[in-house]
Amino acid sequence: MDQDLLMKQIVEQVMQTMMNSGAMPASAPADDKGLKAGKVTAKNYPLAENMADQLKTPTGKPFNSLSYEKVISGEITADDMRISPETLEMQAQVAESVHREAFAGNLRRAAELIAVPDDRLLEIYNALRPYRSSKQDLIDIANELDQKYGAKTSAALVREAADVYEQRGRLKKF
Amino acid sequence: MKSKRFEALAARPVNQDGYVKEWPEVGLIAMNSPFDPTPSIKIENGRVTELDGKCRADFDMLDTFIADHAIRLENAEKAMALDSLEIARKIVDINVSRDEILDITLSITPAKLTEVVGKMNIVEIMMGMTKMRARLMPANQCHVTNVKDNPIQIAADAAEAGVRGFAEMETTVGIARYAPFNAIAIMVGAQVGRPGVMTQCALEEATELMLGMRGFTTYAETISVYGTEPVFMDGDDTPYSKAFLASCYASRGLKMRFTSGTGSEVQMGYAEGKSMLYLEARCLAVTKGAGVQGTQNGSVSCVGVPAGVPGGIRAIAAENLIAMLLDLESTTSNDQTFTHSDLRRVARSVPQFFSGTDYICSGYSATPNYDNMFAGSNWDAEDYDDWNIIQRDMKIDGGLQPVREEDVIKARNKAARALQGLFRELGLPPITDEEVEAATYANGSNDMPDRNVNEDLKAIEDMMARNVTGVDFVKALDKAGFPDVAQNIYNMLRQKVAGDYLHTASIFGENFHVLSAVNVPNDYHGPMTGYQISEERWKQISDIPNAIRPEDI
Repeated sequence: MDQDLLMKQIVEQVMQTMMNSGAMPASAPADDKGLKAGKVTAKNYPLAENMADQLKTPTGKPFNSLSYEKVISGEITADDMRISPETLEMQAQVAESVHREAFAGNLRRAAELIAVPDDRLLEIYNALRPYRSSKQDLIDIANELDQKYGAKTSAALVREAADVYEQRGRLKKF
Repeated sequence: MKSKRFEALAARPVNQDGYVKEWPEVGLIAMNSPFDPTPSIKIENGRVTELDGKCRADFDMLDTFIADHAIRLENAEKAMALDSLEIARKIVDINVSRDEILDITLSITPAKLTEVVGKMNIVEIMMGMTKMRARLMPANQCHVTNVKDNPIQIAADAAEAGVRGFAEMETTVGIARYAPFNAIAIMVGAQVGRPGVMTQCALEEATELMLGMRGFTTYAETISVYGTEPVFMDGDDTPYSKAFLASCYASRGLKMRFTSGTGSEVQMGYAEGKSMLYLEARCLAVTKGAGVQGTQNGSVSCVGVPAGVPGGIRAIAAENLIAMLLDLESTTSNDQTFTHSDLRRVARSVPQFFSGTDYICSGYSATPNYDNMFAGSNWDAEDYDDWNIIQRDMKIDGGLQPVREEDVIKARNKAARALQGLFRELGLPPITDEEVEAATYANGSNDMPDRNVNEDLKAIEDMMARNVTGVDFVKALDKAGFPDVAQNIYNMLRQKVAGDYLHTASIFGENFHVLSAVNVPNDYHGPMTGYQISEERWKQISDIPNAIRPEDI
């Protein structure tokens, strides 16, 4: 876009939207990420080279047993070529050993989500977008994550979102 | 009388650019706005009750998310009590280590981070980048797109870009339904050019994740976050949905980073009267709080906005530095076209190019400007030699190297033929020898024959319904007689099982050996420390084909 035009548009836009809404109180539970006794550290990294014998696919196959030939023959399938919860936990420990706690927390949430099928995962993500879900919808999703998949930290995040969306008026509008 | 001097100046490219005077009340100010909040934090019973002058009762959604997730609380009150000028001075002090800085900067608020970098001039910001970048050595990323969504050209351009040195490659689409072809083409081309290049396809969030899950891509980047709540809502997401999305990617072994940048809020009309840099600091805090390993920031596609106000390009460098101060992988934009002036576009890139960042451009256009579907890039294929010569002039490593024409032609041809074979094996509309030939020698899509778009789109729909995955690409390439390319793609799939490349600032070196901030952290602490260009690498950078050799005279 022509930059002069862009600047003019911005000025016009901001003039139209100079009012703003008042804020509402918000509260959320503290994130419960019980630090686990770290065994794997940056010294073991990259795990594909230094701990290959201890990695497994989610289908239970040893990482070292994966091979190009087996992919070609069909012995190894797309379902095997995925990361397992145990491996993500090890990577979370590596992250902690270099003081990346927030990132480790994300990897642990991810470890829990491996069990959730692709399509359902996409649906849950979409349900978390603004104005998509009622509070009950989100609580139901949290319960599903918790009870069906044992995804406790992800469930906590969804519950937290449900409270915040309610307070900020971002739930589904009927 | 009119001055002939002024007439000449008026005709200069720089005077075709748009500029605007500061207007702090609406957020048309790059940094140091009088309306930016005063930094503050109050913690009661392990919970933040006041953040940057707002008490919890007044928090918006971003404040809540940042207060609950983004700041290390143990050390926060102590770090917040430090004078911002003192923190700024520590950042440029070679005797204060990167780790010591992180102890402070991971414990302070967005307003404090903004205040700290606000005390630094552009050279000091660059010094900060040199020290605070996460990975030891810099790298570079490119865009590979074209106006026709021609997959053969994408494969060939990606192969060339691999030979030239890029560590990551990003494509996107003109027609959304072309995405699967573009994603396959860039992956195949990249693995021909240099094994281990990561590839992505920028799309709507859910579609992008789906392609990753099916093995069409190895990472994702266009996961946008914004600095005010209304703009976040306009972006159809929340910090919570984005945090969840981040975990979705990691759960499938896919690397990902968020994207944000100065100017997006004012461009979308809800800057809430804050400086662009303060709002960007909030984006970066959200990124940190979501547990994402890195960010693409530096105004990115909103570059026209900060570039129009005084100090805007300094603010872009400052926002890159804030990302580094939060220990995030920093992928520093230098992408969208913003100026008519060649002088200005080089100056805009100097801070990141000369200091070195995890990915200097995100991306550098591997095509002529007219083929770049991200609205053009600040650097494009026709600047390859300029980039290489600047590296040589300054003795810096910007991630690229000079190449020989015959090597490029060979790689382009092989990528086009590999894609031709893959299409044949997967029963996709044929790629003709004429198309292979054109892609081998093309500069841009003007040099490519047209494809039957309807036929392609129908085949894509059918392929997606058949649940084709990355494993099928490996098999098809093997069958088509390209086992080496197939093996490289297999190796990329194998990396997803181990997850080493999920970590901060990862790239792949030779033999798929991952290099990240975990095993090659930046340890700069003054002259002759940190990344040193090896003799071998310097030879590669400096050895341009058109230099006169003294022995020949």
